[in-house]
Amino acid sequence: MKILKLWRTFKEGMLNFKRNGWLSFATVSILTLSLFIVSLSALLGLTTHLVLQNMKEKVTVSVSFNPDVKEERILEIKDELSKYTKEISSVQYISRDKALEDFIAQSGNDPVITQAIEEIGENPLLASLVIKAVTPENYPLIVDQIESSTFQNDISRINYERNKKIFERLEKINTATRKAGLFLGTMFIFIAILITFNTIRITIYSHRQEFEIMRLVGASNLYVRTPYVFEGVLYGLSAAIFTMLFLFGIAYYIAPLTQGAIPQGNFMNLYLNNFFIILGSLIFLGIFLGVLSSILAIKRYLKA
Amino acid sequence: MPDLQPIIRFENVTKAFPPDNRVLENLSFSIMPGEFVSLVGASGEGKSTLLKLIYAEEVPSEGEVYFNERPISKINRKHLPFFRRNIGTVFQDYKLLPQKTAFENVAYALEVDGRETDEINAEVPEILEIVGLGNKMHKFPKQLSGGEQQRVSLARALIHRPKVIIADEPTGNLDPHSTEEIIRLLQEINSFGTTVILATHNKGIVDHLGKRVIALNDGAIVSDEHKGKYVTSTPTLNKQPIQKV
Repeated sequence: MKILKLWRTFKEGMLNFKRNGWLSFATVSILTLSLFIVSLSALLGLTTHLVLQNMKEKVTVSVSFNPDVKEERILEIKDELSKYTKEISSVQYISRDKALEDFIAQSGNDPVITQAIEEIGENPLLASLVIKAVTPENYPLIVDQIESSTFQNDISRINYERNKKIFERLEKINTATRKAGLFLGTMFIFIAILITFNTIRITIYSHRQEFEIMRLVGASNLYVRTPYVFEGVLYGLSAAIFTMLFLFGIAYYIAPLTQGAIPQGNFMNLYLNNFFIILGSLIFLGIFLGVLSSILAIKRYLKA
Repeated sequence: MPDLQPIIRFENVTKAFPPDNRVLENLSFSIMPGEFVSLVGASGEGKSTLLKLIYAEEVPSEGEVYFNERPISKINRKHLPFFRRNIGTVFQDYKLLPQKTAFENVAYALEVDGRETDEINAEVPEILEIVGLGNKMHKFPKQLSGGEQQRVSLARALIHRPKVIIADEPTGNLDPHSTEEIIRLLQEINSFGTTVILATHNKGIVDHLGKRVIALNDGAIVSDEHKGKYVTSTPTLNKQPIQKV
């Protein structure tokens, strides 16, 4: 009998959802909007974080050597540095010829630059070691160690100062966006809960006369309430699916903009890689909001 | 031997709403099983309140109402839905669920009781046939006339085979033809042994029935006759000052 009643209240909820077409549509739309805003602010926060992290990871320190230092000496130093695997993840040797090649390639084979170099007559660039740290926090230590090392006299310059400023700026941006994201996200979630709650309350309010009738013909409070709980589940589920579709649309449009800017490649990959995590969270949040609002809203009409 | 115990008994019942609105004043009367009782009186004389005390929508301020000699006010709130299945109710505004068809409205009263689907599918069409709506079972209330809606409501009230039918101004919104139809059905139900309590201010109905009439005026019983006629309440000076002289 319990299962029969549960099944009936479930059917009742489905039927209400269908027969109250417009109201269901409006409620699901509002819930979708709420979920969309919340998930979008969360995803944008995450993307910003990933972009900054990616930029940080691309930063390297390059140590340039005096023109008179022999290649063997530089390779020796490279081997020495490569031993510090805890702090240094890679050391790459760029010879003077390679540096020139890269420089010309970077300038887009600009004839003015090629001409200028030809006029100088010799390669003006220096050989260097490009050091990539395990984490960006290691750079100050690495630079300190190199500056006080036995080969300090061979070094022409370390381009750390410029990079250091970039680091600091990135760190500031990261902290700021995290704070703003957290603040905005919390605010949006709060607004979403309020709007959803009120919308569902209006939906239930429009049914209030029916509760009286249902109780009058012998329905228990539980029997009156349960269909609305199932309806709440349905609101949440539909809203989660719609939100997922909208997010797909967003991902599709901004994927080209984020190409290469985040470790996952682009925003679409980020979305697809985490598809089930996002869907699961949305369904959970949607159902939670839908059911909680339904239960709270109906409570006041079922007294006595 | 017929059952000699009253099905409904009012014992010194007073109902007052805050701050100091005494709607019913010290009422005592009994209704025996199988009776057809008309409750008359102008609007606002406390007819609906009296009926609400029977189906436990209100509790008396003083005194007690008994159903089968059991005090209604002592019923646990949890058991109220079960108690209500003993009483079928019909109202002026039909009180049908707008999102449900005639069939579903009647079936709902059985569904909440946990009855088997087969049973419901057999009984509901039967009862709708009795009230003459066999061919309109799958219409929604807004697709039915007032009289038809009231007949759905009556079918729903009957589906539990209740001991008592309470009809609060059931014909208030109906045309004479539909009114006649509903009253005829109530008489038919009564002839099978169901107690019927009908609140109305339609003089024609009461005179036509020729059954017991309880007349309320100012919250008190002014007459209770077993083969009664509609009693016009005499104006009392303290209630309405004389305006036409």
